[in-house]
Amino acid sequence: MPRQHAPDLLPGTLDMLILRTLQNGSMHGWAISERIQQISQDVLQINQGSLYPALHRLEHQGWIEAEWAVSELGRRAKYYQLTASGRRQLAVEASEWERMSTAIARVMRLA
Amino acid sequence: MSVRDAVLRVRALLAPRRVERELDEELAFHVELEARKHLAAGLSPADARHRALARFGSIALVADQCRDARGTTFFDTLARDVAYAFRSFRRAPLAALTIVVTVGLGLGLITVVFTVYSTFFLRVDAVRNPGELFSVERPTAPGSETRLPFTRSDYEAMRRETSVFTDSFATVRPLRARIDGRRVSSALVTGNFFQMLGVSPALGRTLSPDDDDRAGRPVIVLSHRGWSNLFSGDPTVIGRSVRVNGRPYEVVGVMPADFRGLAIGPPDYWAPLALVDQFRDNYADRENESPVDIIGRLNPGLNAEAATAALDTWASQRADLPPSAGLAGAFGGGGKTTVANPSFIRLRSRQGTLLADGNEAPLVFVPIFFAFGMILMIGCANVANLLLARGVSRQREIGIRLSVGASRQRIVRQLLTESLLLALVAAACGCAISWLFQHGALYAATTTMPPEVAEALNLGVLATDWRVFVFLVAGAIVSTLIFGLAPALQATRLELVRTMRGEMTRDMRPDRARHALIALQVGASALLLICSGIFLRSAFDAARLDPGVRTSDTVVVPILNESRRAVLLQAVTAHPAVVALAASSDKMRAVAEVPDSAEATARTASSPSLVRVDQIAASPEYFDVLGIDIVRGRGFTQAERGAEAGVVVVTETLARALWPNRDAVGQVVHLQASDTAQPNPPSMPSRAFTVVGIMRDVNGPLAPDFFPSWAVYVPTGAESPGTGLTLRVRGDPERARQALLESLIAVDPGLGEINTMRTIAGMQAYILQILFWVTIVLGGLALALTLSGLFGVLSYVVEQRVRDIGVRMALGATTRHVAGLVLTQSFRSVAIGLLAGGGLAAAVAIVLTALDDSGELGHMVRVLDPVPYVASALVIATACLLATSIPTLRAARIDPIEILRKE
Repeated sequence: MPRQHAPDLLPGTLDMLILRTLQNGSMHGWAISERIQQISQDVLQINQGSLYPALHRLEHQGWIEAEWAVSELGRRAKYYQLTASGRRQLAVEASEWERMSTAIARVMRLA
Repeated sequence: MSVRDAVLRVRALLAPRRVERELDEELAFHVELEARKHLAAGLSPADARHRALARFGSIALVADQCRDARGTTFFDTLARDVAYAFRSFRRAPLAALTIVVTVGLGLGLITVVFTVYSTFFLRVDAVRNPGELFSVERPTAPGSETRLPFTRSDYEAMRRETSVFTDSFATVRPLRARIDGRRVSSALVTGNFFQMLGVSPALGRTLSPDDDDRAGRPVIVLSHRGWSNLFSGDPTVIGRSVRVNGRPYEVVGVMPADFRGLAIGPPDYWAPLALVDQFRDNYADRENESPVDIIGRLNPGLNAEAATAALDTWASQRADLPPSAGLAGAFGGGGKTTVANPSFIRLRSRQGTLLADGNEAPLVFVPIFFAFGMILMIGCANVANLLLARGVSRQREIGIRLSVGASRQRIVRQLLTESLLLALVAAACGCAISWLFQHGALYAATTTMPPEVAEALNLGVLATDWRVFVFLVAGAIVSTLIFGLAPALQATRLELVRTMRGEMTRDMRPDRARHALIALQVGASALLLICSGIFLRSAFDAARLDPGVRTSDTVVVPILNESRRAVLLQAVTAHPAVVALAASSDKMRAVAEVPDSAEATARTASSPSLVRVDQIAASPEYFDVLGIDIVRGRGFTQAERGAEAGVVVVTETLARALWPNRDAVGQVVHLQASDTAQPNPPSMPSRAFTVVGIMRDVNGPLAPDFFPSWAVYVPTGAESPGTGLTLRVRGDPERARQALLESLIAVDPGLGEINTMRTIAGMQAYILQILFWVTIVLGGLALALTLSGLFGVLSYVVEQRVRDIGVRMALGATTRHVAGLVLTQSFRSVAIGLLAGGGLAAAVAIVLTALDDSGELGHMVRVLDPVPYVASALVIATACLLATSIPTLRAARIDPIEILRKE
């Protein structure tokens, strides 16, 4: 194995990462995981076994919606995109994350 | 659960295979892309695929997690709960059976009431756009309920001269007639009736405008009821000729069962309005003057207010108002006021079968629903008690499940699923009970009812439609919540450690809830039993009540068709069963004035100079045939057979009211008819009459309708139109009635109802008897359920306190002590229940009497009769004592040694 096993994601952050990734447009599951990995410079590797249950859960919550469309392979794939309530949810989670990470950073620096 | 969530779940449920296929496809696609990535990085295809799969993990596991996210687990859990519930029913079949029967009984009884309610108020006729239908009324004054009827010519003019309605029809109903000798109810309608409502026949055709013509062939369209009653649903009935009031008509169509002609009770058939003279022969040759009801379909461009205004204008412009409009009505302070402008028009919305506004009839159902619902309440209370007790015996099982990690919510849900299953089975059971109850009640009613009443009412078991099923299922769910929720919450509130050790926690003896339930049940039974007691006493009173007239040998024969009067009279006189014959008219409203001005100054408010009286025309034989004594003066002589004789007989009450301190005989009174409601009041100008006699007041059940106490009798003869016959017959009046019916139908095929005076006088007692039977059945059931509940609870309490009692006995408590301990458990709740039930009954009685201005209720039932209160209290107390005695004896027989050894 060329790479070290990636650290576990902080609990609850997967949903937020998915929502944020989808902000740029609709994507299928594999593209979402690839994109997160790329942007995080391979630090964050989505455990693929938890990606799909999360996608389905978000779909049931009405934050994302799915559509079958033809993919780059010429085969149909399930594309996910953000809904209006998903955008709201993302805003809530992002600001919450902002607050938490600043707080943790402060503690790490100053305590 | 959001909408999207629901949609996705439903999709997963409806097309599970497609959803599964899509899931597989999605995951496979991912693996494929991953493999391609590795392929591009230079791996061999096999390695690439292998690596991709390894990275992904177990596809089956992921799919399973996706399925969890999708939420079909709800149904998996449901299936598991249902299976579990069936296992637990099999373990305790008796408890399950008890619950099903108890709840089923309650649901079944209330379903009977709902079926009746639904038939009358929810099953509206399926006509086209019922919201557009309005009936047109002409009140005599704004807000008045007395109406000036329209005539057929008014209707034609309205159609011609206004454009308020896109279409309208006129109807006369209900009319009584005979088809081939059987009494039927008819409705006469204009030819466009069916087309205007947009209904189509089940068989044959409907009436057309061409049928509504005197020149055409007389035809009728049967209702579903008429079709089944008169022809037993024979499909070959179309084209058959029947004799309606002796005249031939052709059956051209049959309407479906769900069309009742905009009425709660459908007529047996519809006939063209042009033939009205064949039903009411006083309109012979002037069919256009017969009073009709008009219903129209409002022009879509108009609202109800604009339409009313337009009709108002139209009506006031119409010059040829019917003659009755000019009659004066004069009451009160002595001044005369004429009827206000008779052109007020009111539109009332007709939503299919019902008048949309001013509908008070559904209110009648409130107490009925309440009384029947009480059985369901008591049943649910019983079941709740049973489940509370079972919750205790199951607390080990529940404790174990909680301790191995089941959530409380999960167990409550499972217990509720169990209850709901039982309730649904109970609902099915209730459906059968409702059917049985209806048939039983119908059988009991038709066998005890006087035959002529049964013939007139024409009862049948009501149809069960989808509304009844929805009601049953809703009832099952509501009762589940009533009886299942509290025990489920109670049973899961455990202290785990102690439960596992088999100890009862304090919490598991919900004594207070249990006793409240008992008190509730006792109260409800007391209420029902008191009602039945009141009805029974009143029924006895009514049956014993002296009707005040001879009922043993009198028969009443109305004459509906004046053209047949002569032949009917001839047939009646010649009939061997008839001994004597008298004639009388219905009561009519009139105003009496005493023209004695010398006296007038001395009069007080208690004897006004103008009084409203009932005027009845009676033949000279009338008082004798009915056995009404003339207490002063004389009756009419044989020569006095009409108003022109100038004599009257008054009642004792009226004589006292008009001439308080004087002898009424020989006085003069002015009478003037005041009945504007009657379409064609006999023209009777105000004229003077001399009082020749005073008759005894007739009290009792017949008084309000037939023998009003403020009455003036003017002479008449059997030949005069508008009178009916009262006959004295030989032998059994019922036999005489049958014999008369047979021979008179031959003379007049449209003959009215012949009744014995005994039946008429017995009606009130009969109604009270029905009420008694309904309440005694309900009260008996309520009591039986309460007793079984009380017995169950006390047995359970004894069972739970065996150790406690054993210790007490070992410490020297006597048997009597122990028995007292158990008895006091129940004593207080029973006493509270009795007080509450009795208090509620009395309160309802007081409110009802206060609301009842007419005093009719007080006349019929004595609501505050103490006997029913005391009697039902005694019955309930005794029964409760018996129910408690068995558990009490069991407690007293506890052997302390045995118990303590078990410890």
